[in-house]
Formats: sequence, structure tokens, C-alpha cells
Amino acid sequence: MASSKAYIASVGFTPIGDHWEKSLTDLAVEAARGALAPLGKKAPDQIIVGNMFSSMGAGQEHLGSLVASALGLSGTTAYKVEAACASGGSAFNVAYNLVKSGAIDSALVVGVEKMRDLEPEEVSQALAMAESAEYTQFVGATFAALNGLLARYYMEQHGVSRDELSSIPVLDHSNAVTAGHAQFRKAITPEVVSRSSMIADPLRLFDCAPVGDGAAATLIVNDGANVASKHRVEILGGKIATNEFSIYEREDMLDFKATKEAFKAAMGQAGLAPGKLSLVEVHDAFSVVGALSLEAMGFSKKGMGSKDAKAGRYSPGGELPINTFGGLKARGHPVGATGMYQIAEAYLQLTGQAGKNQVPGAKYAATQNIGGVDSTSAVHVFGGAA
Amino acid sequence: MHLMQSKERAAILGYGAYVPYYRLPTTEIAKVWKGGGSGPNVEKAVASMDEDTVTMAIEAGREAVKMSGVQSLGAVFVGTESKPYAVKPTSTMVAQALGQHHTLAADLEFACKAGTEAMQVVTGLVGSGMIEAGLAIGMDTAQGRPGDDLEYTAASGGAAYVIGRRGKDAVAVIDCSTSFVSDTGDFWRRAHERYPRHLSRFTGEPAYFYHIENSVKTLFKETGHKPSDFKYAVFHQPNPRFPVEVASRLGFTMDQIKTGLLNPMIGNTYAGSSPIGLAAVLDEARPGDKILMASFGSGAGSDAFCIEVLEGIEKSRGVNPTVKSMLERGTKIDYSTYSKFRDKLHK
Amino acid sequence: MTIQYWRQRDRYYRLVGSACSECGAEFFPPVYRCKKCGSEKITDKEMPQTGKVLTYTRLHEPLPGFEAQAPFYLAVITLDNGTRVLSQIVDSPDESVKTGARVRAIVRRARVDGESGQIVYGYKFCTV
Repeated sequence: MASSKAYIASVGFTPIGDHWEKSLTDLAVEAARGALAPLGKKAPDQIIVGNMFSSMGAGQEHLGSLVASALGLSGTTAYKVEAACASGGSAFNVAYNLVKSGAIDSALVVGVEKMRDLEPEEVSQALAMAESAEYTQFVGATFAALNGLLARYYMEQHGVSRDELSSIPVLDHSNAVTAGHAQFRKAITPEVVSRSSMIADPLRLFDCAPVGDGAAATLIVNDGANVASKHRVEILGGKIATNEFSIYEREDMLDFKATKEAFKAAMGQAGLAPGKLSLVEVHDAFSVVGALSLEAMGFSKKGMGSKDAKAGRYSPGGELPINTFGGLKARGHPVGATGMYQIAEAYLQLTGQAGKNQVPGAKYAATQNIGGVDSTSAVHVFGGAA
Repeated sequence: MHLMQSKERAAILGYGAYVPYYRLPTTEIAKVWKGGGSGPNVEKAVASMDEDTVTMAIEAGREAVKMSGVQSLGAVFVGTESKPYAVKPTSTMVAQALGQHHTLAADLEFACKAGTEAMQVVTGLVGSGMIEAGLAIGMDTAQGRPGDDLEYTAASGGAAYVIGRRGKDAVAVIDCSTSFVSDTGDFWRRAHERYPRHLSRFTGEPAYFYHIENSVKTLFKETGHKPSDFKYAVFHQPNPRFPVEVASRLGFTMDQIKTGLLNPMIGNTYAGSSPIGLAAVLDEARPGDKILMASFGSGAGSDAFCIEVLEGIEKSRGVNPTVKSMLERGTKIDYSTYSKFRDKLHK
Repeated sequence: MTIQYWRQRDRYYRLVGSACSECGAEFFPPVYRCKKCGSEKITDKEMPQTGKVLTYTRLHEPLPGFEAQAPFYLAVITLDNGTRVLSQIVDSPDESVKTGARVRAIVRRARVDGESGQIVYGYKFCTV
């Protein structure tokens, strides 16, 4: 079981949106089949499913065996990894470490979430399960409420204006226009954000990622797997880190320590300086979370995340393009699948398959996938495309 | 002898009142049900949608305990006709919130006089030496059927008293009390009914006046006291008119009752009505002042108390918010907000 | 669910958190291990009932069961010992709910399990 290099051999995903005709299993199978293609009839050594709330969304748990069986691969080691919205990134990280260590040679990772079968208030309840049942849900706080608290604090501490806060949602929507799998392929202006309905003051509807169904999958292999793949991308580093669980338990609520730590460690494993990155997929579940994430990874100074986005630093052709297919706000945020969409998008960029969304000459990419309000953060770094 | 007097007198060691933040002007009710005008009172205090007798009793209880400095309560009695549960004691929830476990806890129900009888029971426990100190609370979130005359006055609020052995910091001594009861069906609520029912003129003479006059006259007769011995008098206040009328019949002046007459501004807080009137009086009273308090509960009965203010009252000033300050901290609501708060809208 | 909340009743009614027996640091919500010095000698301690607003939001789309209250205020409150608590702010004029506002703890109905289930009580705050 010698440590070796690990690669993404292939990816598969569904468009994100309202899949009225497709079940949780339908979505998982569709994405998985795309990723499994290079294996032919062979089974991967393990199937790892990233998912947050199938228990609420579909009344279903035990997704590992369920998905393996649906794929006709029963017998395979299979299980679910859950870390709220970071379930996808976390499942990927588990698979990556197993394959890289040589404990196994191949793993299929499927991130899936079925949200649309729920009514909006049920989705709120499901998402709130990422936060303390006794001290956050108990007082009636939704996940959006926590981010509203954070947004006001951020704006007051750093003098960030409404329009500046809107800059990441605006950028996301602009990038998604040409992204085939994105949920919202329509450009917006800051006025659209500032006039959208109030959710958790100061956060409005267009500060918040939408509700949608989706699944995304990758096949991870090492050299021992003997898998023929036209395009492969090396996983250069990956780390899951955690912060104090609830924002009100943190000395500095604006310090995304999990993201900071995960990014530092993953980049260290990759042996890469941040300046080398061609693009980053940022977990902007809420406008303020995108800004704080950019700051935690050191791309923007404290208080400058939104302002830098407004100045164009993160736009296509800018210093460091982010959310190249629309990010969580416009590509969509099917919670447990989101981290896997980010990784699939990084793969498309590094293998030159990003079409109209291609970052020219993309060489290295990072993905940052958060669970809770940075309670968990899973960061991965990719490069060495072949 | 019908006088209730413990050999060792018990004293009020601390008190706390509670008036909810929201006020419904009675013009709002009249607008909906009579096309204009007002009720007999100006406003009534309305509990918010997340308040009930438990939460209000906890707030008043905390203030009373804070003023008393008492660490351990031997009794927690809550007198109310608006228990959140038909079965599950209000008093245990209050005791838990006050950190009290080795305590006799019970809910008392006697329409509007359950608060004063809680005070009598605790006085008896203290006077007998069975407990050092106990908490007596009169608190209600009274409800009247929409459109009923009661809706103008049925209000939320009350007060809590820590009663214990008379020490140097005692606020007032409870010298004695009387009780007078009879089987009189002036007002009632059957099990499983949401709103009480009442007879109209029958609630006056044979109910309110008959029982209060009897309890107070008995107190006078057996103590030798007369109205002019009292600086203040507090009578149960179902509306602004009855307490003024009964005071006059018994020989009290407007000057004696005005301090404790809160009905015009908060309505009838039922089991809280006499206790909160007494709290408003204690907020202003001086050592040596005598106070007469007479409650009335439908069904029916009246408890009359003779209370004398002690030196400790001076030290209690400023410890808790006064009733007056609670009347000032509030905001008016309309009938629709009130309907939402008090669960009169059903989706 | 009622039992899950019952277990916390002293936390909910009286803001009972934790104190570290070794370094004296205080925490709310309670902790298993001191986040300052790492000690596991932790005891229960009632937190101060007053504090000030660090940040707040007005929530328009609440969790199921809280619809009747919406919109309502939620705030992160820094208690007078420096610990923080997430809580609703009620019974307070809109203009008084702001960053830095002084608040005090009260007990309110926190969750009600329908028409026939139990009523769970817990802390809320109001501005002073």
C-alpha cells in the first residue's frame, strides 16, 4: 500500500434544478454512470456517497448500498459521508486519501441531493440541521438567519455597502449564462439583488444560493488502477478542517478558520503558492460567505472580499477567476452534491473542456466546500492535467 | 373569631410585578364589535404570543426573590385561572426557573382571587414555622370571548410576593386576613371551554359587593380597625367602577384607592388584579402606612388583608422596576395584532 | 423532541453555562472541555442575564413552527462576562434593536408542539 499519486479519471453530473421526474437514486445513477465510463464493466474498489439530508429530502438513508445496488455493483464497499453542505467535498476527501495511500486503487464518489420534493419551510428545517439543535434551531434561527447576522456584522465592521455585497452574486450570474448545467443562466444587476425580497435582514433572496436537485460524481484512481482515461487531473492536495461549531462560539466570527486551515494544508501538500492558481471554486452559499472565504484563503485582505469582486479581480480575465460556472448562487447548490460539482468544474477547466467558460491556460485549480458557516471546510487542489 | 392571624406574623420580604409590553386600547375592541366608542377602561395589557402565565410568573417571581434576598423557598404557589396546561403544574416550571427544588409547589384556582389565597397559604406556612419563606404569585392571561363585554377588561399581568419571617429588611408585615365564601355562580368556565361565561348584573350585588363587604366588615369587626386607619386600600378591579363603589360603601375615599387602581390602564388581570394593585401601593408607601387589600373571586369569595409597611421598604426602592415604570414601557397594538397574539385566528 | 429540550431546561431558563475550575473561563453554550486552557474540570454556572447586541438580523422566513412570529429579531448577544448567546429579541421597539444595544434575559415560550403537545420555555432577550 505504497503512497502514490491520485487522479480524477472522469466526471459525471446532472444539470441542477427541478428534477420533478427524477428520484434521488435516479440522479445519483445518472451522475455515477458518467464518471464510471472509463471502468467499463469493472467495479470501483469503493463507492462513497456524499449527501446531507436524504433522510428528510427522500425519507432515505443507507445510500452507499442503495447506490451500489442501483448501479448493478452490489458487493462493492459502499457508504455515505455526511458533513452538511460539505458532504460532497468530504466524501471526495475520504476517497482521495484512500486512493492516494494505496489502500484502494479506485473510488467512485457521488454527491447527491434531492431538495425539490420538500416544501420551502421543510428545506429550511433540513438545512438548519447543520446547526446546533439545542442552541440555534431552538431559537428559531434558520441557516439564512446565521448568515444574516454575519452579513450585518461584516458590513458594519468593514464598511461594506449593499452594492459591494452584491458583487459576488452578480459575478456568479454573469458566469452562469453560458454554463449548461447551471440552475440560473441569467445575468443580474446589483439592483436585482437589492430589490429582491428580504430573507434575513440584511440578506435578500439574491444573496442566497437557490434550492435545487442535482448529483455530480468523479472516479478517483491511482496508477495501480490501470484505467484508461482520455483526460485526467492530478489531485495535488486535500484537507478537511473544522472551526468552532457555531458562529457565536467563535472569538472572531469573521475569521473562517476552517477554510483558512484547510486551504493552507491543501496548498502545502500540493507544494503550490497561492499565486499559481488559475481559478478557485468558492463556496458562496450566501454573498457574505463568498467574501469571507476569499479573505480566509488570503486572496483578499480582511473586509475586501466583496470590494475586490466589485473591482473585477475575480471576474473572467481578472487576477483570479472564481466560480467559473456560476458558483453556488447561479450554478446552484444541491447541498450534498455541491462540493462534487465544484470538483467536476475544476476538472473541466484543467482538461480544457469548459467550453465558453474556459479559463484560458488553466493549470491549477482549488475548490472550497463549506459545511455550516465554515464549521467544516473541505479544500482540494488540482493540477497536472494530462 | 374568623380572623386569620399567625402567632408569629409573616412579612412581605420582596415583591415583583409584571405587566406585558403590549396594550390594546378598548376603542380598538369597540371599533370591531360596536362600530365605535370604548370600553369602561382605557386600555388593557395583552400578553404577547410567546407569553403565558408561566413566563409572566417567572418574571415577577424573579423580581420578588431578588428583592427579598431569600435563597431558599419552602413554597411556590401560583394562583391563576389561565394555566397553560389543564394537567401539569405551572408552579413546578416557575420553581425550576427560580432554581428551587426542595419546595412545596402548587397551582391554586379560584377565579380572580387565587393570588391572594396563595398569599394566605404561604403566610400560614411561615406563621406556623413550617417554612422560612415562600413565594405566592397571582398571575393571569385572562381572555374574554370576542365581542363579549369581558373582552374589554380581560387582561394579562400580576405580581409575586416572597413572604417569610419578619426580619429587619422586611417590606411589610401581613397582620391578618379574613376570607368569606359562598356558592355563587356569577362567572365560570366549564372544563374544555376556551372562554368563560358570566351573568351580567348578577356579577355585581350578590357576587362582588356581597363578598367583599363581608370580608372587609369581618376584618373591621374583629380587629377594631376602621377605614381611616388605612393610608391605602386596594380592591379587586374587574372594571374601573366596582372598586370605587365598594370603597365608597365601606367608607374609603378616592385618595385611599387611587394609587392601587390600575384597571383603567391595564384592565382586569384576574388573579393578578389585587396583588398588582398592592405592588403599585408598596412602590409608594412609607413605613408605618397601613394597607387594606380585598380581593374577589367568582364562585365566589373575598380575602381581606391588613398589611402594615415596615422600615425595610426604603431599602427595596429601585431594586425592581415599579408598576408605574411598567405602565410607561409599552406599546399600543390594534385588534388584529391582538387577535394574532391571543390565538383568536385559526389557520 | 420534548425530552431533548427538557434536558436543557436549566440552560434555557437560567442561562446555565460552564465555568472552568482551573482557569475560570466561562462558556455558553456549555462545554465539555475548557476552550482556553484545555482542562476537563468544568462546572455549571449561571451566566449574567444582561449583555449587549453584537449583531442582529430580522428574520422573515423562519423555521417551521415560528411562522406566527415572523418577522422577528435574532441577535448574537455578548453577555456581561464576555460569553455569547444567540437569541430572539422580543418586546422591544424597532429603533432600540441595534448593534451595541443593552439587553436583558427573559423567559418565554420557545417552541410549542401543536395544540396538544408540550410547551417548551427558554430564554429570549429584550432591550432595556
